[in-house]
Order: sequence, then C-alpha cells, then structure tokens
Amino acid sequence: MKTRNKVLKIILVAAMILLSLFFLFPVVWMIANSFKPDAEITADMNSVQAFIPPVPSENFFDNYVSVLTNTNFLLYMGNTLLYAALLIVLGIIVNGLAGYALAKIKFPFSDKWLLIIMMLMIIPSETIITINYLFIAKMGLLNTIFGYILPMIVNPFNIFLFRQVFVSLPDDVYEAAQLDHCGPVKYFFTMVLPMSKTVVATVSVFTFLNVWNDYLWPSLVFTSSDLLTAQIGLNAITANENTTMGQTLAAITLVTIPVIIIYSLFSKQIVEGVVSTGSKEG
Amino acid sequence: MSYIQLKGLCKKYPNATKNSVTDFNLDIEEKEFIAFVGPSGCGKSTTLRMIAGFEEISGGELYIDGKKMNNVLPRDRGIAMVFQNYALYPHMTVEKNISYGLKNMKVPSDEIKRKTDWAIDILGLEEYRNRKPKNLSGGQRQRVALGRAIVKDSKVFLMDEPLSNLDAKLRVSMRNEISKLHRQLGSTTIYVTHDQVEAMTMADRIVIMKDGVVQQVGKPMELYDHPVNKFVAGFIGSPQMNFFDVTIEGNTVKFADGKQMPLSENIINQLGGKTSGLILGIRGEDIKLDAQNLEVYGEGKQSAVVENTEVMGNENNLYFTFGGAVAVARVSKYEISQVGDSIDFTFVPSKIHFFDKETEECLF
Ligand SMILES: Nc1ncnc2c1ncn2[C@@H]1O[C@H](COP(=O)(O)OP(=O)(O)OP(=O)(O)O)[C@@H](O)[C@H]1O
Ligand SMILES: [Mg+2]
Repeated sequence: MKTRNKVLKIILVAAMILLSLFFLFPVVWMIANSFKPDAEITADMNSVQAFIPPVPSENFFDNYVSVLTNTNFLLYMGNTLLYAALLIVLGIIVNGLAGYALAKIKFPFSDKWLLIIMMLMIIPSETIITINYLFIAKMGLLNTIFGYILPMIVNPFNIFLFRQVFVSLPDDVYEAAQLDHCGPVKYFFTMVLPMSKTVVATVSVFTFLNVWNDYLWPSLVFTSSDLLTAQIGLNAITANENTTMGQTLAAITLVTIPVIIIYSLFSKQIVEGVVSTGSKEG
Repeated sequence: MSYIQLKGLCKKYPNATKNSVTDFNLDIEEKEFIAFVGPSGCGKSTTLRMIAGFEEISGGELYIDGKKMNNVLPRDRGIAMVFQNYALYPHMTVEKNISYGLKNMKVPSDEIKRKTDWAIDILGLEEYRNRKPKNLSGGQRQRVALGRAIVKDSKVFLMDEPLSNLDAKLRVSMRNEISKLHRQLGSTTIYVTHDQVEAMTMADRIVIMKDGVVQQVGKPMELYDHPVNKFVAGFIGSPQMNFFDVTIEGNTVKFADGKQMPLSENIINQLGGKTSGLILGIRGEDIKLDAQNLEVYGEGKQSAVVENTEVMGNENNLYFTFGGAVAVARVSKYEISQVGDSIDFTFVPSKIHFFDKETEECLF
C-alpha cells in the first residue's frame, strides 16, 4: 500500500513537472531572447540554443536599457503600481466593511443582500464595462486616476471572501474590545483586519494581479500617455515600428516579473482564496 | 442602597416564544461575590449579559451605583468581564492584551506601565509577557483575561463560566486564585457557573435559577440546609439529595414500597395535616449507618442491600434500593461495605425535608 502511494506520487510529480515545462517553455524562450540582439534571435529560433541566454557581456542588458530609457515604460510600471496600491487600500476598506456588515451586523434583509452580492459574482466585468465607461465619461472623469479606480473598488468576489472569513470571528472578542473602549471603527481596523491577515493578503494579491493584468478598462479610460498602465504601455511600445524584437521581449519580461514574484511569494494565499470561495458556506 | 440592583429584569429574545429571563430581582451589595447557578439554558448568561449591556433589557430596571443603566453603553457601566472562551486579542502579546483598555482610556503611559506590571506580577505572567495567546495554555490564557479585567479598576467584575474550559485540577487552583483576587481587590463580582461546587466554595451568596426564574437567593449553607424547593434541594449538593414519594399515616411515614418509618410528633405537625402527595428528602450524609447513630435514632431503623459503591477516598457512597427509589448514603471511609452487604441505617430526623409533590415547594 505504502509503496504504491509512493509510486503514484512520483508519477504525479513527474507529470506536473512535464506540464509546467510545457507552460514554461515560451517564458523561458522569451527571457533567453530578451538578452539577444535581433540578428541573433532571428538566426536561431527553434534549436535548444534558442532557449539558453547568451553569455553575459557588456551588451547583455542593452534591450532592457533601451526600453527603460527610450520609452515611458518605467513610468507606466510605476503608474500601475500606484493604481494597484490605491485599489488594494480602498478595496480592503470598502469590501472589508461590506463583508463585515454581512457577516456580523444584523440589518433587514441581510441574507438577501448576501445573495445579491453572490449573484453579482457571476456577471463578468466585461458585460458592464460599457455602462461603466458611459458613467465615467458623463462624470467627466475620463483620463483621471479617480475615473479609472472608481468602478474597480467594489468587488463582490472580495466582499464574499471577507464575509466568509469574518463570519467565524468570535463575538466575545468584540464584546471584550467594547469594554476596553474600542469603538466599532477602531475595532475593524485594529482587530478584525489583523485577525484576518490571510484574507487581507489574499485580497491584496488578487487586486494586484487584477490591476497589473487588466487591459480593457484602462485602455478605455486612459488616452493621455502619462497615466497609462504597464500593459497598455507595452502595447504602445510593441506597436511602435522602431522597437526591435529584443526590446519587445525585454518589455514583456519586465511586465511578467512582478506577476511571477507575486505568485511565488503568495501561492498559498492564492490557492486559499480560490478554495475558500468555492467551498463551504459559513 | 445596594450597589447593583436588578428590578424585575426580563429578557425576551426577538423571535423567541417565551422569556429567557423572567422578573429577576436582586440587590447586590458592594464587594459581594455573587454566583449565578443553574442548569444549562436557565438564563444565567443572558442575565449577566444584560448587566454587562451586551443584551438589551426587555423589561425591568438595572441600577449600578445608583444610576440607571438600561440604556448605558457597556463600556460606560464601570464593569469588566471575563469570558468563557477568554476572548483575548489573538494578535497582541500578553502585555498588550492587558494594557489595551488603559491605552484606549488615555491613561498616562507611566501609569499604564505600573498597572500592567502589577497585574502581570500578581497573576504570575511575567515569563509570558511577550507571548501571543496562541502560545499559552488554557490556564495562562484565563489569567491574561483576568489581568485585562483587573487593570481597569472596574468596580464590578462579571465572569461567565471562566473556568469551564480548564481541567479539574486547574479549575480548583484558579478558583482559589479568583477568590484571592476578589479579597484583594474587593470588587463586586458576579460569577456565572453551572458547577455548584464552584458556587458553594466561592460565593458570598448564590442565586439559583431555573427556566429563567430565580428559585432562591442565599448564603451557600442556607441553600444547602434550607432549600425552598425540590429543585434547589436537588441541584445543590453532590451526590444529589435522596427523594422518596411518601404518605403519612398517624406518626408514621409510609414509603412507596410499603416500608414504614416512625417520626416524632412535632415533625409530623409541621406538615399541617397534609398526609399524601408528599416527597421526603434527605441528604446522603444524613443517612447514618454507624452504631452510635443507630442507637440514638434506632426507632426508625431500616435495612437494605448495597447495590453499588463509589469509593471517593475520603468517603464512600453506597447505593441501595429503598422506599421505591435508589438511595445513596455517604459514609466515612472507615465504614466499609461491599456490594451485596446487608446494611442497617437510619435517617437523622432533624435533617429530613418534606416537599409538596405538586408544587415541589419545601414544607420544611
Ligand atoms: N441570541 C439568542 N436568541 C434566542 N434565544 C437565546 C439567545 N441566547 C440564548 N437564548 C435562549 O435563552 C435561554 C437562556 O440562555 P442562556 O445562554 O442565558 O443560558 P445559560 O444559563 O447561560 O446556559 P449555559 O449554562 O448553557 O451557558 C436559552 O433557552 C437559550 O436558548
Ligand atoms: Mg451561559
């Protein structure tokens, strides 16, 4: 029995390694070639050599240097980080408070509200993007950070995630805090959130990935080049005919790095987030 | 005027069909240690939480220190509470847990330090000062919870089954610690427990509840010796008081199985002529087996066969069928009886209680 389990495990791990190689090889190719001049890239595109970065020389980072100095790409990445940070903070406050209310506060039809919010999770954001656009345009918020952020703050998925975690927080801690002269707002920020670090991390990670990878919404809201996000900036750079293939690959690599870092640091939270919304209803 | 007054306190939870607490009247003096006891669901916690302000009072009035508290916020009632599940702040160290309330009350920091150190010291938490609650044992956690309560100089302590999550041995030692703290601090304490031993050993006065109604209020020995009804008589004391269905014929008590026991006339007279529908109650330790008592109270001598024994070490419980019920006698460890032994015993007449079978009230 035991040896059979072991064999199964080895097969499973081997299969997963194969699968991940399958998914990884374009990424490896991209990274390897982002260090090469165009001539070298086109000379050999599919031998094993194409997957191996060149020996470091003084021209090794040329593509990166030119992407970062000749274009606004650094600014775009900075913008995106700023938007992500703003949305993480605002999202935790707004969705967290909503989730807390649904979990702990008695108000009329609270169960129905939860149902409505769960139903909203089904609606893909693309279907309401035109309406959001019209709203933002009518309010004169196109090309502003606020206009970009506003429709993205409320996130039913995150509300639900928060609610599921807050439901299991013990009530007597709140009562003890009340006797310790801690008001409800202070309680939320200094007790509820620190007691729920995992979900806060999960939501932050999801929000970051969401903002970092989003293309459609920022492309509608932003036309001024100062405010662009990394993904759109990337598109602008690659569409420019002066950009070499190596520079394109360097830019894509730069966009990919934060995602890889986030996934490797927070894979636990990401899995937990996916699992906890899929399963138990508290 | 009493320090805490509960006047006709009632609680009806929304959607509940009946009251969880009905017409609760109690005057608590300053520095008194009051225990609420009763079986599960009798409304002890509900009453305590009304006093704390965590449950709305549906009817009646609550006064603390002369001020009506019905609509005062919990934190402004001058109370501190110790919760059954400790309710510590999990992300804070022991020290922070204890000082948190003082910080919020804007107490000067040197005073916070002094008070926190004092609490940590008398509760013996020094070596755990910088630990988080999850790295503490149950007893240590409960001590932190006590610390959090005592630093605030509250006049009133409310405790809801603070020891029920601890093992038996720790419960006994924490029981003593809480009693000691109460003597040191002199704060008025209301202590909820379903453990009558805790109530008996710690409280100045005990309030016994059943189905949301106060059955009796009194000093521990008052309740033990003079229960007002069968419920109180059965609830206080371990093993439980023995109850027998009896009738009276002349000066003789007749048990359900036909056994008879003569009683003196002045005991019978106290029944006021009632001869049927009676329950006789007697505690295990008032059933005597020793020669001396058999000599003195010999005329009521009975016999039975021991069916089961509980050896407690300091004493033994003997179970036997008598008078249509299983009775238990508590005898000293020197009176050795085995299962199957035939025993002679007698009731101490002055310790006999009679209850009305219908109302369950104690006749004397
Ligand atoms: N939030 C509530 N809503 C409705 N009914 C409640 C609520 N809390 C308690 N009750 C009911 O009120 C009654 C008294 O409950 P309470 O918790 O005060 O009992 P207790 O004496 O503390 O019991 P225990 O020893 O089990 O803690 C019970 O019948 C219980 O079902
Ligand atoms: Mg209770």
